[in-house]
Amino acid sequence: EETGDDDSYEFGKGDFTEHACRYCGVQNPACVVRCNVPSCRKWFCNSRGSTSGSHIVNHLVRAKHKEVCLHKDSPLGETILECYNCGCRNVFLLGFISAKAESVVVLLCREPCLNVNALKDMNWDLSQWCPLIDDRCFLQWLVKVPSEQEQLRARQISAQQINKVEELWKSNPDATLEDLEKPGVDDEPQPVVLKYEDAYQYQNVFAPLIKLEADYDKMMKESQSKDNLTIRWDIGLNKKRIAYFVFPKEDNELRLVPGDELRLRYSGDAAHPAWQSVGHVVKLTAQEEVALELRASQGVPVDVNHGFSVDFVWKSTSFDRMQGAMKTFAVDETSVSGYIYHHLLGHEVEVQMVRNALPRRFGAPGLPELNASQVFAVKSVLQKPISLIQGPPGTGKTVTSAAIVYHMAKQGQGQVLVCAPSNVAVDQLAEKISATGLKVVRLCAKSREAVSSPVEHLTLHYQVRHLDTSEKSELHKLQQLKDEQGELSSSDEKKYKALKRATEREISQSADVICCTCVGAGDPRLANFRFRQVLIDESTQSTEPECLIPLVLGVKQVVLVGDHCQLGPVIMCKKAARAGLAQSLFERLVLLGVKPIRLQVQYRMHPSLSEFPSNSFYEGTLQNGVTINERQSTGIDFPWPVPNRPMFFYVQMGQEEISASGTSYLNRTEAANVEKIVTTFLKSGVIPSQIGVITPYEGQRAYIVNYMSRNGALRQQLYKEIEVASVDSFQGREKDYIILSCVRSNEHQGIGFLNDPRRLNVALTRARYGIVILGNPKVLSKQPLWNGLLTHYKEHECLVEGPLNNLKQSMVQFQKPKKIYN
Amino acid sequence: DEVRVRQKITKVDPLEEADFDREFRALMQESLESRKLELRARPTLNMMIPMNIFEGPTKDHHGRGVEGESGDDTLDEEAGGSKEVRVKVLVKRGSKQQTKEMFIPRDSSLVQSTKQKEAAELEE
Ligand SMILES: [Zn+2]
Ligand SMILES: [Zn+2]
Ligand SMILES: [Zn+2]
Repeated sequence: EETGDDDSYEFGKGDFTEHACRYCGVQNPACVVRCNVPSCRKWFCNSRGSTSGSHIVNHLVRAKHKEVCLHKDSPLGETILECYNCGCRNVFLLGFISAKAESVVVLLCREPCLNVNALKDMNWDLSQWCPLIDDRCFLQWLVKVPSEQEQLRARQISAQQINKVEELWKSNPDATLEDLEKPGVDDEPQPVVLKYEDAYQYQNVFAPLIKLEADYDKMMKESQSKDNLTIRWDIGLNKKRIAYFVFPKEDNELRLVPGDELRLRYSGDAAHPAWQSVGHVVKLTAQEEVALELRASQGVPVDVNHGFSVDFVWKSTSFDRMQGAMKTFAVDETSVSGYIYHHLLGHEVEVQMVRNALPRRFGAPGLPELNASQVFAVKSVLQKPISLIQGPPGTGKTVTSAAIVYHMAKQGQGQVLVCAPSNVAVDQLAEKISATGLKVVRLCAKSREAVSSPVEHLTLHYQVRHLDTSEKSELHKLQQLKDEQGELSSSDEKKYKALKRATEREISQSADVICCTCVGAGDPRLANFRFRQVLIDESTQSTEPECLIPLVLGVKQVVLVGDHCQLGPVIMCKKAARAGLAQSLFERLVLLGVKPIRLQVQYRMHPSLSEFPSNSFYEGTLQNGVTINERQSTGIDFPWPVPNRPMFFYVQMGQEEISASGTSYLNRTEAANVEKIVTTFLKSGVIPSQIGVITPYEGQRAYIVNYMSRNGALRQQLYKEIEVASVDSFQGREKDYIILSCVRSNEHQGIGFLNDPRRLNVALTRARYGIVILGNPKVLSKQPLWNGLLTHYKEHECLVEGPLNNLKQSMVQFQKPKKIYN
Repeated sequence: DEVRVRQKITKVDPLEEADFDREFRALMQESLESRKLELRARPTLNMMIPMNIFEGPTKDHHGRGVEGESGDDTLDEEAGGSKEVRVKVLVKRGSKQQTKEMFIPRDSSLVQSTKQKEAAELEE
């Protein structure tokens, strides 16, 4: 998620042009005319679509309007059609006649001018009056009919919709077709579907969902004001003021991330005036402290530490860009190729291959050798305009993606755009791609420029600051001045901005590959860039409209990488999630019959750990690229019940509790045992950074952190260094040892979060060397997938109970699973 | 960017078509009627073809132009085999006359008759 751009630009380059057909959106000037009735003045095209008359004739008949004007770029220029003789403008009466001998034609009205005898005596041939409207369509040589391609990409409007919108225009001339579909305030939104008639229908479905999500996000974030904060002041390397404070995280979904914008306030006292300033979160420390870099350094009450308030500054940027992308997708024919347009909408398109020479080797310099399934993936992707790559955990998605990007860049089709929904994933990819020797520019949101990045040298803002050529010295001087003084005079500021933009452009244009988040692809700095080839990693974690942002920059070849068997995008608004906003484009394409190319060799997990996920989520296709020996924890003395099988399910019967906030759960017994397991690992020589504790509940997460630091048998600091987090925040990462605390333990209620098979898949596939699961089998076994997992552990004698130093096989009875999981 | 999309056959709803036809004819009828009522008086004629239409680089209307010039802007260019012919459309801007060039399909009735006449004239 990305917010904050200081410059305001318009989103969605593909604004509806004024002269687009109000029915179908066709905007070719040769194909449209304007209704000349002063209260109307709408444009319509001369295509029939699925109606009996062409759009313009349809409008004139339904609205009982009779005058039209041609487009200024049409062959006759901006011309109101009228009788040459009497000036009558009723198009239903007009027709062309030609001069008897000359190649000259004029419009003449049927009544009365055509019946004036005197005309016959002149040079005009009245025998061949050619009506302007013929077969319910304007003369096609006067107003062209849009081409078949143009019509295919236009809105597929029905006669019923036309009649409805004409009716609506009588009371509201500015109404749009979208208004017809708008749900009422309390209505459930239209759900997503598999196939869409056209990009307008697509937009009609997704735009309200994005709006719902945006509204929810805004409401939630703006309600996050906190008072009575204590501030610790500091100054950053760039000389900007930094405020450190603890942002008490209540038990709900909001987590601050670097780049978020907050407003810090002080209400004033006898010695200090009231003060406030906006800043960006640049860091979240391990102690859960927030570092806020303030925008303005003047007047900061640095001698005060208490009594501050903070509000969230909500930005609509990411949502605006999604809406903009959908609009562009609909109205701008050049936004994506025809093939991709129809494919994305689920139309049946004849298969197309990309005619590019294939490289002889599919690996890339600077990257590890590719395995067979990776080579196959690279090879097939290079030949297809749309491909999906499914990368199960640890299968080398990033390396494969980097190899694909390398070969694409070498094909000379222009710059390649590489995106992912999260900044972490973009950084990882940028690093790998850069290792192949390609010139990479990592574009960061302006609000994240101060956030440290592992690929800082690749970022555009870094490269701008360090492009040390003599022509740029002017920019450097200004930059230094700005850094020292905090601001520039307005003329200098103007000069600085212009120079900076030019430099940014120069650097970006010389890159082989641009890397940014999906939302970042809507950055104004890329507004004039075109990308024929786009790769989106982690695409199963982004919503469709988010995925569309990088695509509408002219894509002809797209590669979506992801894994629809792992967690999808996080949708906060339940209504929007229910309507299907959480389904990614990748998933919909799979449902439409696009077969993902699956990477099949995993290099992360001990073979014992990959067995169950492979069988349950990947039809048993996951092969092990690591051997048992390579994943042996030599020198680690840990009481695994079965040697060589570093896993066990630790039976816990302690009750769950509702957390203090009332919105989450915790389980004290499990927490106590987590501490014991962690301590045993640490004692046996495992270091804290090797261990990850996963739990699906924030209540339990907080409780475990607290419990370990207070009750841990070893030094407190050791426990503090252990990452305790939700399943979701572990997606895409790995640890040597994972401890999973399931929490839910009750007689009658469900298992909540644990019900999602994709969440279980993610939880089970983070560990490289070993995994310990703590949970109540009686409760969990009701769910078929968990039942399968428990049976698997039991069969391998890894279902155990008792004290950690004396684990015994558990004889606990499972319950019959309730529903069939598919 | 050629793309082949398997299209659904769009069928026009016959009821809708009939309804549309009815309204179309009603509008046409109403238009004609209103004109009959409005313009009892004979319209004055203002239909002279301005002479300056034939000025400019093109040759005269009989197609017997300067040798070497192609006759692509007159009606008698069968030899070219082009599907369209160029015509001049006469329009009024206020009281001023203007001409604009346009292409009309060769098989349009508008062109056909003129051509036949021209052919006849030529034969004479
Ligand atoms: Zn109108
Ligand atoms: Zn239209
Ligand atoms: Zn007239």
